[in-house]
Amino acid sequence: MVYSVGINDTNTNKFNHVTFGSEQKEKNKTEAQDTLLYEEKKKHPLTTGLKIQADKFINACTRYPKKGLEGSKNSNFYEFLTMGMVPYVVGSAMMIAVFNLASKFFETPAAVSASKLGKKMGIGVIAYGLAKTFSKKLIEVPLNLRYGIDVNLPYKKVVHELPDKDNLNNLVTHEYHKAFESVDFPRWDLFYNNDNYGKERESYYKKVGKKMGLSDKDLEHADQKVKPIIKEKVVKTKLFSTLSSYLWAATAVGVSMQSPWENLVVNPAKRIANFKNYRKLAHIAKEEGRKIAKYDNFAKELGQKFVASCKEFFNNSSKTTRYAGRILLGSAVAMTLLGNFSTLFNFNKNRGVKPNASTSLIDEKREKVVC
Amino acid sequence: MTNILNTIIANQNISPSQAMDNKPLPAFTFDTNGKVKPKEYKGHLLPSRIFGSPIEYAKDLKKDIVSIGKAAKGQANDYELGRINDLGMKLGALGLAAYLFVKNPLKLSKAMEFAGFGTFFASMALWPKIAIQAPIKARTGVDIHQKYIDSQGRKKMLFQDPQYVLTDLYSKEQLEKMGDKLKVSKNLPDRDNFIKQRAQKTALQGNTLWMMTAGVATPVMSALACNRLEKPINAIIEKYDLSSSARAVENIGNKGLLSKIKEYFNAKSLEKLLAKNADKPLNDKLIAKIASKIGVQANSASIQAAIQDELKALRTPGTLNETSIINLLKDRIPDLSALPQAQKDALNKAISEGSIPKIADILSKVTGSSKREQVKLAREFSAILTEAKNKAAVPSLSQVSDKIRTLAANVSEFASKKSVLDRFISARVGDKSGTYIANQWGKVSERVIKSLKLSGKELKSVSEGNVEILMERLSDLASQDAKFDKVVQDLIKLIGDYETKTGSSFTTTVKETAENICTAAGGEFESKGFKRLAQSVSDAAKKGTVENIINVNTAERITGAQSSFYRLIQSLDLFRAIKEGTLTTRISKILTENGQSADSASVQRIVEACKKVIMDATTTDYVEKLKSSGFGLSEGEYKTVMKVLFDSESESAIEASLKRTVGSDRASELLKGFKAYKKEFMDKIANWQNGMTSDLARCTVDGVTNGANAVERNNLAGKPISNFFKDTAKKVYNSNKWLKIFGGTMLALTAVTLIATLVIGKKSKTEKQAEEQQKTNG
Repeated sequence: MVYSVGINDTNTNKFNHVTFGSEQKEKNKTEAQDTLLYEEKKKHPLTTGLKIQADKFINACTRYPKKGLEGSKNSNFYEFLTMGMVPYVVGSAMMIAVFNLASKFFETPAAVSASKLGKKMGIGVIAYGLAKTFSKKLIEVPLNLRYGIDVNLPYKKVVHELPDKDNLNNLVTHEYHKAFESVDFPRWDLFYNNDNYGKERESYYKKVGKKMGLSDKDLEHADQKVKPIIKEKVVKTKLFSTLSSYLWAATAVGVSMQSPWENLVVNPAKRIANFKNYRKLAHIAKEEGRKIAKYDNFAKELGQKFVASCKEFFNNSSKTTRYAGRILLGSAVAMTLLGNFSTLFNFNKNRGVKPNASTSLIDEKREKVVC
Repeated sequence: MTNILNTIIANQNISPSQAMDNKPLPAFTFDTNGKVKPKEYKGHLLPSRIFGSPIEYAKDLKKDIVSIGKAAKGQANDYELGRINDLGMKLGALGLAAYLFVKNPLKLSKAMEFAGFGTFFASMALWPKIAIQAPIKARTGVDIHQKYIDSQGRKKMLFQDPQYVLTDLYSKEQLEKMGDKLKVSKNLPDRDNFIKQRAQKTALQGNTLWMMTAGVATPVMSALACNRLEKPINAIIEKYDLSSSARAVENIGNKGLLSKIKEYFNAKSLEKLLAKNADKPLNDKLIAKIASKIGVQANSASIQAAIQDELKALRTPGTLNETSIINLLKDRIPDLSALPQAQKDALNKAISEGSIPKIADILSKVTGSSKREQVKLAREFSAILTEAKNKAAVPSLSQVSDKIRTLAANVSEFASKKSVLDRFISARVGDKSGTYIANQWGKVSERVIKSLKLSGKELKSVSEGNVEILMERLSDLASQDAKFDKVVQDLIKLIGDYETKTGSSFTTTVKETAENICTAAGGEFESKGFKRLAQSVSDAAKKGTVENIINVNTAERITGAQSSFYRLIQSLDLFRAIKEGTLTTRISKILTENGQSADSASVQRIVEACKKVIMDATTTDYVEKLKSSGFGLSEGEYKTVMKVLFDSESESAIEASLKRTVGSDRASELLKGFKAYKKEFMDKIANWQNGMTSDLARCTVDGVTNGANAVERNNLAGKPISNFFKDTAKKVYNSNKWLKIFGGTMLALTAVTLIATLVIGKKSKTEKQAEEQQKTNG
C-alpha cells in the first residue's frame, strides 16, 4: 500500500513517496524528499544549527518579506513564523541602542551614568538570548543522551510551490523544520527506513525502545510502543525547557545588572589600539629578555566580570536583593531539575499499549468536527 | 485505497454551486450506513477589541494553568504548548522585574521596573493594532488580526496561516461589507471567493509588515512610554511619601507601626552573636561587635558611643561578681587544708547562702594550728579572691546576655522612632533624587529653561557654560510682559508650595518630634539602668541639640534651596530692571550719593558687574569681595554693586509683575521674604569682615556685620545662575537629544508603516483582469 504525500510537480517530475509497508522500502530517494539532517548534525553538531539559523534569518530578511508584502499565494505559516526572528534580533539590537546610542551625545557625568546603565542593559539583552537558548540544552541534551530522542533534530523539507506570474519554473524550495516541532504531528515517517539508525524499517524506534528497556516482545512492534512515550517526553521537554529558559534568561539579566559590568570597556577601536601597543611592548620586552604581564583580552575580561557579577548576584550586600537573586536562580535550577526528573524517568507503566487495528479509517461512533 | 471521505462527499447530493455557496456548508448528515457523522461546527469569530476584558484574561490564564498540568503529564497539544510559551515569557519578565524591583534602592526605579515590563508588553500588543491593524481595517474592512475560536475552544488568529484561512466563518453580510471596502466589483458570480482571496492577501501583507516593523517599534515605543511615565509616577511616589511619612510621624508612638518598620532591630542577628560567643569574655572586641549590631539602626555616632559605654559598664565589678567568687571558692574549699572542720562547714554554709560579707568574716577569723598555717591560709584566700576579682571583672557573654537583650530592645525602639522621623524629613528635604525638594528644584529649573526658548544649539552652548546667550535670552524674556508675567507666576506658585511644605510648620514638627523621641527614650533608658544612654539623649533634648542625635540638617538644606530660588527671582528682577531702565537710575543715584562719578560708562560698568555677580559669583568670590576671580571690582564698585543687588529697601522691578500675576497680598508676602533674604545676605555676606585682611574687611556696605559660619554663608549665597542654567540645560539637552533620536525613529517608522498600509490590500493588475474576465464570462 502506497500512500502519496505531497504534490506531483510536473516541472520537477519528482514524487514524494513515503512508504509504510515494510516490503516496499523506499528505493528512489531523491532530493525532492524531506530528509532528516541526522548525519550533518552528527558530523557538525555546532555548525549545523548555526547554518540553519543563518539560512532562516537571511530568508526572513529577504525572500519571505518580499513574498509576504507581495501577497504571494506561496507564503505560508512557516515563513510567517520564521519572520518572527526579525523582530527578535532587531528588537534586541534596538534595546541595546535605546540605552547606549544617546549616551554618546551626553556630557559627563550624565554620559557616565547613562553609559553604566547602557552597558548593563546591553549585556543583559545578549545574556537573555544566550541563557534562553542554551538553558534548554540542560533538559534536551540529557534526554538525548539517555534515550536518543533529539527534540531539535532538524529535517529539510522540500516545498513545491504553485507557479505564479514571476516564477513558473523554479518551484522547488526548502524549509528547515524539526522532526518533533509539532507534538500533534511529529514526523514519525522520517525515522522509518532511515539508514542512519540501522538496516531495519523500525531501527530508530527499536533503538529508542531498547534504551527505554522494552522487552523483546514489545520491540517487535517498537514503533507502536515507543511513539506515545516519545511524544510524552517531547511534550514534557518542551514544557520544562520553555519555562526554565525564561527563568534562566531572567537570572542572566539579573547577573548582568551587577556593578562589575559598569566599567567594561567595549570600544573595539581602543581595544585594537591597546592590543597593537601591547604587541609592540611585548616585542621590545622579548628583545631585552624581559617578561611582561600577559595581555588581558576581551574574552578574559568578560569572564572575570561574569564571575564577579555572579558572586555579587549570589552574595549581594543587601539581604533582600541577595535572597531575591537566590530565589530567581533557585527557581531556574529547580525547574531544570524537575524537567530532567520528569523526562528521564518513566512513570506511566500502562502507556504505549498497541491499540487495536482499526478496520475503518474513520470511526463512525466518534463525532467529528470540521473546524 | 481511495480516500473514504472524498467518496462519501462525492456521493452526497451537494452541487458545486451549493458547495461554493456563501453560507457555511451545512453539517453533514448521513444515515447509519454512512461512515461519517460530522458534528455541526462551533467555530466562530471573536469581536475585535483593542483591549481584552480582564475576565477573558483570567479565563485564559486558568486554561493555561490547566494546560501546564496536562503538559507536565505529557499530554498537551501544540496550541497549549504555544500558549504556555507566551505565559512563560511573561512570568520570566515578571520575575526579572520583581528582582530588579528589590535590587533598586529608589522607589522611582523600583516602580519603573514594572512600568518597563508593562510598557514593553503593551507596546508589543499595541503597535500592530494601532499602526497596522486599525488603518488597514479602516481602509479595507479586513481585520488582519481577526481572532476566532475553533470547535475545540482554541483561540487563534484567523489569518496566521495563509494556507489555511477559515474565511467560511465570515457571514455573508460581513463578506459583502468587506468586499465593498476592498472595491471588489459587484455582481460577480463568484464575488465571495474574490473577497476571500483579497482578504487573505491583505492579511498576509499586513502581517508581514508587522513582522518587519515590530523589532524597532516595540523597544522604542516602550522606552518612550517609560520616558513619559517617569514624571507622573514620580509625582505619585512623592505624594505618597509625603502623606505616608506625615501619618507615620503623627502615630509615632504606635507599637504596631513601629514593629512594621523594616529597620526595626534584627534580633536574630544579635542572638546569633550571643550564642556564638556565649563562653567568651566580654572584651573590647566583642563589645565593639555587639555595639555595632545594636547601634547600627540608630545611625548616630553619639548613640553608638553611648552603647559602647553601657556595654563596658557591664564589666566593672559589682553585684554580678559575687556569683563568680562564690563558685570559685566552692571549687577551692578542699584546697583550704589548714581550715578546721567547723570553720569549713560554716564557710560552706555561707557559700550556699551566697553572702560575700559572711565568707569574708569567717575567713578573717580563721585560726590555724600554727602561725605558719595561718599565713598559708591567708595567702591561699588572697589568691582565690584576686583570681575571682579578675574573672568577675570580665564576665562571660552568657552572664550579661539578658542585660544586652534589654539594651538592644530599648535602642531598637528609639531607632525605629528615629527612622520614622528620618523618613518624614527625607521625603521632604532628603539629599537624594525623588524627594520633594529635588523634584521641586527640577520643576523650577525646567520651567525657567523652557521660558527662555533656547534652540538645540543654544541649549548645547549654555550647557557648555556660554553665559552670553543666557543673558541675551533673559533680557528677551524680561522685555516681554506677558511671557515674563507667566514665568514669574509659575515660579511663585512653585516657590510658594515649597515654602508651605518646608516652612515653619515642617521645621516645628521636626524639632518637636525629635525632642519627644529623645525625651521618651531618655526616660526609658534611665528606668532600665542605662544611665549613659539616657544622659546622651536627654541632654540633647534638654539643650535643644537633637540634631546631633537625629542627624538632621533640615534648616541648611531648606535655606540652600530657598536662596537659590530667590537668586533666580533676583536674576529675573535684575533683567527686568535693566529693560525698564530703573536699574540705571538707581545706580546713578547710589553713585551720586557716594560721591562717585555717575557718567554712563561708570553706570554701565556697574550694570555689567551686577549681571556677572548674579550669574557667576560663588561664596568664594564673595569671600574675596569680588576683587579677583574675573570680577576685579574696586572697593567702591563692590559697595555699589552690593547695594544695588542686596539693599532690601530698594524697589523691586518685578513688583508690578507680581501684583499682576499673583495679586497684591501674595506679592507683598513674597517681596517680604525676598527682602528678608536680601537683608540677611547683606548682613552675613556683603558686610562680612571677620578674619579678613584690612583691605578686604573695608569692603562692606555699612560696616554692620552679623556672624555666620561657612555653611550658612554657602547656603545663603545660593547656586550661581550660570551654573543653575548650565546644569539644567545639560539635563534638558540630553533628554531632548535622546528624545530626538528615538522619537524621530518612532515617528519615521510610524510614517513609513502608515504609508505602507495605504498600499496594502490594493487590487493587483492580475486581480483586476480576473475580475474582468469573470464579468465577461458571466
